[in-house]
Amino acid sequence: MSPMPLEGLPVAATVLYQEKATAVPRTVTAGHDLWLTLPDLTAASGWELTPEGLCREELCVPLPDDKPSRFVREGNGESWFNLAEFARQVEQPFAHDDVHHVWYFGLPAWEWRSQLASPLAPEFTLPDLQGKLYSLSDFLGKKVLLACWASW
Amino acid sequence: MREELKERNFEVITVACDSKGAAAAESWIRQSNPQHPSLLDERHRVPELYNTRNVPAVFWIDEGGRIVRANDPIYAQRRNRETGEATVNHAYLNAVRDWVEKGPQSIYLQDKQRVQTRTGQLTKEDVEAMASFRLGVYLYQQGHGQDAVAHFKRAHQLKPQNWNYKRQAWNLGDIERDYGTTSQQAREDPASQPFYPSLDLPDPPQG
Repeated sequence: MSPMPLEGLPVAATVLYQEKATAVPRTVTAGHDLWLTLPDLTAASGWELTPEGLCREELCVPLPDDKPSRFVREGNGESWFNLAEFARQVEQPFAHDDVHHVWYFGLPAWEWRSQLASPLAPEFTLPDLQGKLYSLSDFLGKKVLLACWASW
Repeated sequence: MREELKERNFEVITVACDSKGAAAAESWIRQSNPQHPSLLDERHRVPELYNTRNVPAVFWIDEGGRIVRANDPIYAQRRNRETGEATVNHAYLNAVRDWVEKGPQSIYLQDKQRVQTRTGQLTKEDVEAMASFRLGVYLYQQGHGQDAVAHFKRAHQLKPQNWNYKRQAWNLGDIERDYGTTSQQAREDPASQPFYPSLDLPDPPQG
């Protein structure tokens, strides 16, 4: 793979990837980089490293081949993937807390850039006080007054 | 009003964007005893999707799922916290009635262009701020409210016009202790204007 080995002691971290929270027992973090083993990468984010690049469901994102070690390195006899570098590559915002080792990843550019491109009201599904789920699409065929409020 | 209009293929959906969750929203919801869906949005999913910067934020969505009026900074009814007295915004309620009555002919609707201008487009700063805000909410909900402050501050720096991030963060901590400001001072910051978008409610039709 790449000649540059990954250095650093693994730490346990929580990866919040859009709606999913995963406890990952071994990650390597340095500054704004988050390295996960390939199985952990898939468990936390749904992405899988393939010869086509990073793939998830029907979508594959090729990885630029200028400097492969930006994305993949060997360490401790395993391959590790830099999920944060991938996020930068696809303009996916992320934030991390280094005291509690929590990493949050938002939507990639192809999702957040297209969100308000059409006049259709974005779909959502949320619970009421009783935990019953409602989707906006449940109300198609009705006029809806959608009111956001807060007690603060 | 919802009761009056529900037979006319009309529904009200309220969304409480409150990271304290049911605990914060519950007493308000129970007090108003709504017959319509009253949803909980702890992670501020709807503000993100609809690119709102403050509450209240009201959207009108037609039968085909299209936004026909965007981001009104209006409470149709306000209840005074101390006195319990309710003030009703009759002009706004009449506008809603007009829409239910006249549908696409209602003068209160906004065209596609206007809706897009009012909702705007997400920028890199918006989504970066949202990532920090979400991280802050997670830490708060895990019992690390003090550690959340740095992340909320980053969200505020990236997007000073986003009053949801400010007001929610202050609510989860102590505005003076944690953020070194007061509500008054924050309101006066030029980088954070406007507090609300304009309302732009046309005058009612004559006759």
